[in-house]
Amino acid sequence: MQVSKESTRRPAASKAAGRSARTRARRRATTADIAMMAPPLVLVAGLIIVPIAIAVYLSFTDWNGFTSPPHLIGFRNYVRLTEDSAVRHAAFLTLLITVIGTVACNVLGLGVALLLNRNNRINAFLRVLVFYPYVVGAVILGFLWSSILGTSGAVNSVVGAKHALPFLSDPTWAVVTVICVIVWSSFGVNVVLYLAGLQTVPDSVIEAAKIDGATPWQTFWRVKLPMLAPTVTVNVVLVVIGLLRVYELILALTAGGPAGETQSVVYNILTSSFDNTQLGYGAAQSVVLMVVIVTVTVVITTARRRSEQAVAA
Amino acid sequence: MTARRVGRIVAVALLVLAMVGPLYLMLTNAFKSQHDILTEPFGWPSGGFSLKFLTNALTSPDFNVVAAYGVTLLFVVAVNALNLLVVGPASYAIARGGHRYHRAIMLVLLAGLFIPGQTLVIPVIYVLKALGLIGTIPGFLLFETTLTVPTTVFLFVAFVQTVPRELDEAARIDGASRYGTFWRVIFPLMRPVVATAMVLNSIGVWTDFVNPQFILGPQSGIYTVTTGVYAAISRLSTDYTVVYPNMLLATAPVIVFYVFMQKRIIGGLTAGAIKG
Repeated sequence: MQVSKESTRRPAASKAAGRSARTRARRRATTADIAMMAPPLVLVAGLIIVPIAIAVYLSFTDWNGFTSPPHLIGFRNYVRLTEDSAVRHAAFLTLLITVIGTVACNVLGLGVALLLNRNNRINAFLRVLVFYPYVVGAVILGFLWSSILGTSGAVNSVVGAKHALPFLSDPTWAVVTVICVIVWSSFGVNVVLYLAGLQTVPDSVIEAAKIDGATPWQTFWRVKLPMLAPTVTVNVVLVVIGLLRVYELILALTAGGPAGETQSVVYNILTSSFDNTQLGYGAAQSVVLMVVIVTVTVVITTARRRSEQAVAA
Repeated sequence: MTARRVGRIVAVALLVLAMVGPLYLMLTNAFKSQHDILTEPFGWPSGGFSLKFLTNALTSPDFNVVAAYGVTLLFVVAVNALNLLVVGPASYAIARGGHRYHRAIMLVLLAGLFIPGQTLVIPVIYVLKALGLIGTIPGFLLFETTLTVPTTVFLFVAFVQTVPRELDEAARIDGASRYGTFWRVIFPLMRPVVATAMVLNSIGVWTDFVNPQFILGPQSGIYTVTTGVYAAISRLSTDYTVVYPNMLLATAPVIVFYVFMQKRIIGGLTAGAIKG
């Protein structure tokens, strides 16, 4: 469009010169473009794509990290991980953490957001308070809770040795404790995101619902929640991706114990790879985890798109 | 109506208790003896609060908290600087480019969003080894910066698309190069989105444990706050006069910073998550 307009305006003589200047400009723009995009491309190619390729390759070998070269052993690692009870346990635990944690973080996150939605000083303070675990970081939170819930931790000191609660020493209790601490440390982010989402619900709609005689409960289910659909998607995806990768908190809280009972998938991958020098096997587990994360993210986003569109319509 | 209000008050009280309780323990027990912590963890110490344990942690030969803060801060600053340098111009080129390959490049750059950093670290070690960068600060910074690329590209591209193209054209007529146009015309307009990216990246770097632990490694002697606290506490996890003061030293500056910057931090996270 632009080109034709210009060319009709210009006298024939300078047409050629104009065109060549434009091609030169475009070519220069392309080289500049490439130069600008190259640095992150090189980084991502070298430190994400190539390593993924290496992981995929290693997953078909029995490499221990020292002997060279690695032997190709086909799908043996993948077959092995379906039979390995430690892997199965880690997968089950991670699934449990992800499902319960996602529901709990979202219910709690939305609940607390509704509780703190009105703007006043106390609520502003409480919003800041629920969010601090996010900036402290999982390793330190794990240690903090282990000094509170450990065998000689704060709570058990008060309860007394006789009635000591096995928060971290009994297998079942430890799993429950891990899930609770994970939810405690991550729901603040969901509170903040749901609060941001609630700001987008127009007051006029809520007023209208009130005038129509809707109870607060009805207003929530029929008006607020449907309008929060996109926020729900973001929260669910973020929590799921985060929980499928859970590692640091478990490392500091239970170190996978008691007896490997709280080992998550990532915990297992890093232990197989480093402590047990089974790099090929660890790589197979990471490949599976990556595939799971991508699949789950795609499935959730596609499934949620429908309820999001229902709002838009 | 009153039942509602009571419920509300109970809920808020529980929330405050759950959030403040751990902080209270960390703060008070950092000044108490092992005996006091074990007998009266929630109470006031029998012999008064003592600065001894905090001083011991500060001067411990095993783990220098002050140095760890220096290192972590340096990493945060360096990753943010590299991130802007590397992602800024690229996002501009992608946002302005109309070709199909621009979209393709953007998708490649976003690929990292789905990859768990903790599992990527193992093969990354081999790449860095091949480059002779394993156990070095440049190697660590390169990988840490790479991990910031996906979210930042996403935020920056979306933002640049809202900046009118007329500004680029005006700059070009004035004789600015593409780089010049980006840094002198577009970048100054990107303040809000740069702040968001910096908040997200900074929190990512200072809470990171796996990458400094595995890429720098304990044998490098370079500790960040997280890896240093991990080393100090996992060795002496039953000596609470080491555990609590170390935790307090690791958290206090972050929490003070957070209290002052909370608007920005929460705003940054909200913007990042909603656009991402």
